[in-house]
Amino acid sequence: MNWADLNLMPAAPELFLFSAVSVLLLLDLFVSDAKRGITYVLSLAILAVAAVLQLAVAEPYAIHTFSNTFVSDPLSTLVKLAMYATTFAVLVYSRQYCADRGIFKGEYFTLSLFALAGMNIMVSASHFLSLYMGLELLSLCLYALIALQRDSVPATESAMKYFVLGALASGLLLYGMSMVYGATGSLELAAVAKSIGAGSANQVLLVFGLVFIVAGLAFKLGAVPFHMWVPDVYQGSPTAVALMIGAAPKLAAFVFVLRFLVQGLGPLVADWQGMLAIVAVLSMAIGNITAIAQTNIKRMLAYSTISHMGFLLLGLIAGNADGYSAALFYTVVYVLMSLVGFGILLALSRAGFDCETLDDLKGLNQRNSWYALLMLLAMFSMAGIPPLLGFFAKFAVIMSVVNIGLVWLAVFAVVMSLIGAFYYLRVVKCIYFDDAVDTAPIVVRGDMKLLLSVNAVALLVLGAVPERLVALCVEAMKQSLTVL
Amino acid sequence: MLTLTHFLVLAAILFAISVLGIFLNRKNVIVLLMAIELMLLAVNFNFIAFSHYLSDTAGQIFVFFILTVAAAESAIGLAILVVLFRNLNTINVEDLGSLKG
Amino acid sequence: MSFQTVVFYVLSAILIFASFRVITAKNPVHAALYLVLAFFTSAGHWLLLQAEFLAIALVLVYVGAVMVLFLFVVMMLDINFEKLREGFWRHFPLAGTVGLIMVAEMALILMSPEASLDQFKAAAPLAADASNVKELGRQIYTTYLLPFELAAFVLLVAIIAAIGLTQRQRKDTKFIDPAVQVKVRRDDRVRIVKMDAEKRAVADTDVVSEEQQA
Repeated sequence: MNWADLNLMPAAPELFLFSAVSVLLLLDLFVSDAKRGITYVLSLAILAVAAVLQLAVAEPYAIHTFSNTFVSDPLSTLVKLAMYATTFAVLVYSRQYCADRGIFKGEYFTLSLFALAGMNIMVSASHFLSLYMGLELLSLCLYALIALQRDSVPATESAMKYFVLGALASGLLLYGMSMVYGATGSLELAAVAKSIGAGSANQVLLVFGLVFIVAGLAFKLGAVPFHMWVPDVYQGSPTAVALMIGAAPKLAAFVFVLRFLVQGLGPLVADWQGMLAIVAVLSMAIGNITAIAQTNIKRMLAYSTISHMGFLLLGLIAGNADGYSAALFYTVVYVLMSLVGFGILLALSRAGFDCETLDDLKGLNQRNSWYALLMLLAMFSMAGIPPLLGFFAKFAVIMSVVNIGLVWLAVFAVVMSLIGAFYYLRVVKCIYFDDAVDTAPIVVRGDMKLLLSVNAVALLVLGAVPERLVALCVEAMKQSLTVL
Repeated sequence: MLTLTHFLVLAAILFAISVLGIFLNRKNVIVLLMAIELMLLAVNFNFIAFSHYLSDTAGQIFVFFILTVAAAESAIGLAILVVLFRNLNTINVEDLGSLKG
Repeated sequence: MSFQTVVFYVLSAILIFASFRVITAKNPVHAALYLVLAFFTSAGHWLLLQAEFLAIALVLVYVGAVMVLFLFVVMMLDINFEKLREGFWRHFPLAGTVGLIMVAEMALILMSPEASLDQFKAAAPLAADASNVKELGRQIYTTYLLPFELAAFVLLVAIIAAIGLTQRQRKDTKFIDPAVQVKVRRDDRVRIVKMDAEKRAVADTDVVSEEQQA
């Protein structure tokens, strides 16, 4: 490699992010606890600048750099922009919550932003090594963020569980990667796909490795049968961190799976399709059915996440560009919905009180009809009721499996989403038809109220013009995946 | 004559021992962390063996990074363990009862 | 059998024994020491595979740093290990059987003729002056520049997390901040409450007078 050939432009947003966060880490040392707001504003500014840079360097084709370990393509640009916006919203939503619980500290911001940087790398990786390093950067930040509320027993417990299972998943994934490396002799996604496509790879090692890779990916996505950690982690973590885990990392994990299975192991589509179908069916069934029995709303949202992961996998099972775009669309919509859901829980929490159970939501309409309406939008959208955005997302992924002739899978998905509608509607019933148990006034910062409202209303407004968002996803996917 | 199979089977045995360790020591978090280290060791064996038999250094470089990440990971894992112990005075996973279902 | 093969089998026997003891040892200090043995033996295996730099790094980084960290934590925390091992041997037969089946299956896949691992030929021995360290270094700083920088950030995150999680203000220190003391105003310490004068109840006076008499 020649230094003059090193093109840093495509990675400019990441380079900015890494350097800016390092500076923030140093600056924060000189900020007293009372003025922590400075760190908060600076973090938001970093996100805004990174997003602008991202738009400035975006090209409508794929550019590889850093000796083919990094790629910047329309897919990564779109997902990264979504992740900047998501992280921005997460920081705004969690400000008051964190301040009330003593985790409004410099580490909270640096770790969140390093996690985002790790996700950026996952999204832009074109080499097993950069995929792995990005994943670990994200995971290590998340383990630490959960445990940051040090005096909370549930938080440290769930951090430990997440850590052990996350490390186990990384181990499985690495074992699979080593087998693929042995079979193809390369660690670069494009070269791996080429070697498999040419039939020069060792088939036994390849399929042997694929099993471990699918298991590791399912673990990271939180799909059944590797879902045990999801409910415990969602319930145990501080709500702000649960929101962080449930939002942007899902986007990153989706692209991670896409790069792994489609760009790297694309020619093995017939092998992984079947495995993913089992995982998707189990996730939709167990996620939706177990969610009905939950009274803790964070736990319920965790099981709902598991079922959403099942729906998302439907798009991947389709194995064609339309399916992948539908899955991308589904992930973006899911992140928008879970931001609202958790955002409301954060808004209803206050110092010394976490809004966690269905009882805490009862009679929300009497207390504040605006937040009740926002929660209604989120729940209806998650349940997939038209004309909200969630309906079009479900419709898109289900259509993609119908198109490849898997009608039984589509029917199963529809039945499961009907079962799922039950527990979402139960939340709505609690909000509108039950008497309030908790009557404390709801105090929310103005910026959060504005952003949360915009976020929830977007579910309705974008639901009126879903084609635009779908077209964006399709375009990004078509220009990025040349393997198809 | 040493072949690739020798090393891959050895790595598979190590991998199985570490999985066994994870299931047997579900209660004891510190041994759990050691079992995870063993699992990464098995993976490293695979990469180095392939790297040698493919005459390609990429596998060795991957191992270099796995070692780095594993060191960082165990530092964070032990930090969480210490915080947990301060809160509960135990590392027994069965005492971690507040999350069920 | 060539000399290398003999060395391989001896090292493998030690490695499997050591890693088995890691997961079955009664005392975690012993487990940690057996893990050290396992890493040390693996370094020997890696030398057989001509990965000299990694063999050295494994001993330096793992045996030297990570395992010492483990031992520190084991000894720092006062843990009742007997209680942690309840039911260990009860589950052992089942788990052991599952483990054996797993090994057998994986070995069968890897050793089956269909896997055709024979097609992988060992690399020719390197020349006496070939440097594994130099070759790795060259690639890490050029081709793998991005992962290398990422590794730096992973370590930075580990530092932030470890300090952020474990550093704490001690509850028992009597540290005082003079600046805060000077800034204190009367209103911070004293609260004046307006209330009506209390009238002593008749019953109370009786009790008091009785006590005085006693």
